[in-house]
Amino acid sequence: MKLIDMILMSLSNLWKRKVRTMLTVIGVIIGTCAIVVMVSLGLGIKQSMDDMLAGIGDLTVINVNNYGTNQGTDSDPLDDAMLEKFAQLEHVVAVTPIQYSYGNFKITSGKYQYNGQITGVNFSTLEALGYQVTEGALPSGTDTASYSLLFGSTAAYDFYNPKKRNGYISMIPDANGNLPDPYVNPMKDKLEIEISIPEDSNKKVKPIKATCLGILAEDWSKNPSAYGVFMDIKDLKALQKEYNKANNIKDDPTKKESYEQVVVKTDDMTAVAAVEEAIQSYGFNTNSMESVRKPLEEQSRTMQIFLGGIGGVSLLVAAFGIINTMTMSIYERTKEIGVMKVIGCRIGNIRTMFLMEAAAIGFMGGVIGVLLSEGVSYAANTLSAGGGGGLGSIFGMGMGAGGQLSIIPPWLILGAILFATLIGLIAGIYPANRAVRISALSAIHQE
Amino acid sequence: MSLVEVKNVRKIYRVGKEKIVALNHVTLNIEQGEICCILGTSGSGKSTLLNVMAGLERPTKGDIFIGGINIAKLSEKQLALFRQKNVGFVFQSYNLMPTQTAIENVAMPLMFRGISKKIRTKEAVKMLKAVQLQKRMHHKPTQMSGGQQQRVGIARAFVAKPKIVFADEPTGNLDTHTTKDVMEIMVKMARQYHETLIIVTHDPEIAEYADRIVTLIDGDVRSDQKNVSLIPKDEEEIPQSPPQPSEMPTPEAGGNEHE
Repeated sequence: MKLIDMILMSLSNLWKRKVRTMLTVIGVIIGTCAIVVMVSLGLGIKQSMDDMLAGIGDLTVINVNNYGTNQGTDSDPLDDAMLEKFAQLEHVVAVTPIQYSYGNFKITSGKYQYNGQITGVNFSTLEALGYQVTEGALPSGTDTASYSLLFGSTAAYDFYNPKKRNGYISMIPDANGNLPDPYVNPMKDKLEIEISIPEDSNKKVKPIKATCLGILAEDWSKNPSAYGVFMDIKDLKALQKEYNKANNIKDDPTKKESYEQVVVKTDDMTAVAAVEEAIQSYGFNTNSMESVRKPLEEQSRTMQIFLGGIGGVSLLVAAFGIINTMTMSIYERTKEIGVMKVIGCRIGNIRTMFLMEAAAIGFMGGVIGVLLSEGVSYAANTLSAGGGGGLGSIFGMGMGAGGQLSIIPPWLILGAILFATLIGLIAGIYPANRAVRISALSAIHQE
Repeated sequence: MSLVEVKNVRKIYRVGKEKIVALNHVTLNIEQGEICCILGTSGSGKSTLLNVMAGLERPTKGDIFIGGINIAKLSEKQLALFRQKNVGFVFQSYNLMPTQTAIENVAMPLMFRGISKKIRTKEAVKMLKAVQLQKRMHHKPTQMSGGQQQRVGIARAFVAKPKIVFADEPTGNLDTHTTKDVMEIMVKMARQYHETLIIVTHDPEIAEYADRIVTLIDGDVRSDQKNVSLIPKDEEEIPQSPPQPSEMPTPEAGGNEHE
């Protein structure tokens, strides 16, 4: 028997008993809807947790520390070669040292000067690390001009006039809520880096010209993006060398070059644990948001299983509905099935047709159920957003503005339809076996 | 070798602790193209014999060879396939699918064989024309008279050109006039395609259409003779003599042979 004929016969049999089919389908709709809505709530909770964590710190980033002393002396230094090893690890997208300047530097612009920290990072990784600029542009590639700088969002306000008693401009908005302009606009004004030398030194150190590439957007999940000034790591090293020369500091030849802090960025937060473990195996301390995220994730998973379970119960009830409907329909069709057997229908075909009927009930219920859930989800999200977390507070989640209470990703849609169909199919096994066992003789028996 | 060879078949039903012997050592050969009537009163075992020959029921003992295959030994699955390939069936209560049109009903055995809709519809239309139902092809069974429904049933039984067509009291629900129509069409079909037709009935008048009449009484073959077109009304009096050689069949059937 051709597949298309079996499908058409199954569907026409369902159509013959429209009302009963519909009632059974409604059972599956409710079950599917319950599962989808519950899982989508769980996903919404998880998403808002992740958002919350992401606000605290980047979830995909691992900080590697090397405080030197707490590691065995034979541990490898945290140098460029080691960084290269980190970069080779799977799922790692960017590796950069975070090196803070030591010694006394000033960034000057005319009569104003900046005494804050200069942080050396690998400029080519900034984009991958997720830094953004409000002005200018992030350095692209590695071939940026020497002594290029990136200013933190508020770093410009740290320029002050050392000759005046009250040389700062405070970041206090005026009556109209506008911030005053800082003394220096790093993007436009000339910048120079001065290396401080002891006052009694008679050396002359030429200031180094510097240019500002951009102003970083404020992002508290990142290493100071507000106050600091960033410089490419190779420039910082060069600058440090200049400083040592000017101040007669000799390099310790026995001390191996080693960064104190390195940031490793992975492509996904699920990869963090594995990458961390790999880095630890080289003998370094690491920390990441993983240690915070993990228990929270466990918690939200438990919640999802619980919510999904509630939905699952209603789909289970629906499955029994399918069994009941199909069994009833087989009782009614005993004679018909007998006739089909007598006039040449193969046993396998009969089984397939009944399984198809049951699966079709599941499939229809799944599709309509998913559509309905989309509606429910939309309503829940609209209500929770409009009602100031009215629904959100019911679920005990301090949902931020724009936080979605219920999320239905494509895999959930597809999964729910497949699952409902599968449930229908499984529910059809018993009735289909009954149908198969009906004797061909029942065609002959008179009612 | 005969097309159908029933060898020493016994069929015993158990009802509680009681045994009911439906068939008691039946042996019977039926040739290809033969129209055979199994005649018997209620309880004579004639329906059981039909069911056993059609592979709907298993004999308690004995063998049934059809085209050399012992169907008493086939599994349920093999039997279904065997019926699909070899057997057509005409029911007393027509047993048409109520939601399907005449064409769909007739095409059904072909659908079970996996034949495409286009071809099977063509075949079904041909069969329905042959049973003079060209005007009722798109009607559903409920919109047809009993005689018309049974003609659809006959078209369905013959559409797949089976080796054997079984008819179980095919006119049991029909009036005398329609009975004549239906029997003539059925016999004509069997002759046309040179198919074996086995009719079970209690009505001696139906038996008149057959080439050969086998009378069953209490599960035994009481008589087995060629039809001489004159059937004694009282079957009990048929002498147990060997079948007399007689030339072919009823005038009705003979007239249609050259179609």
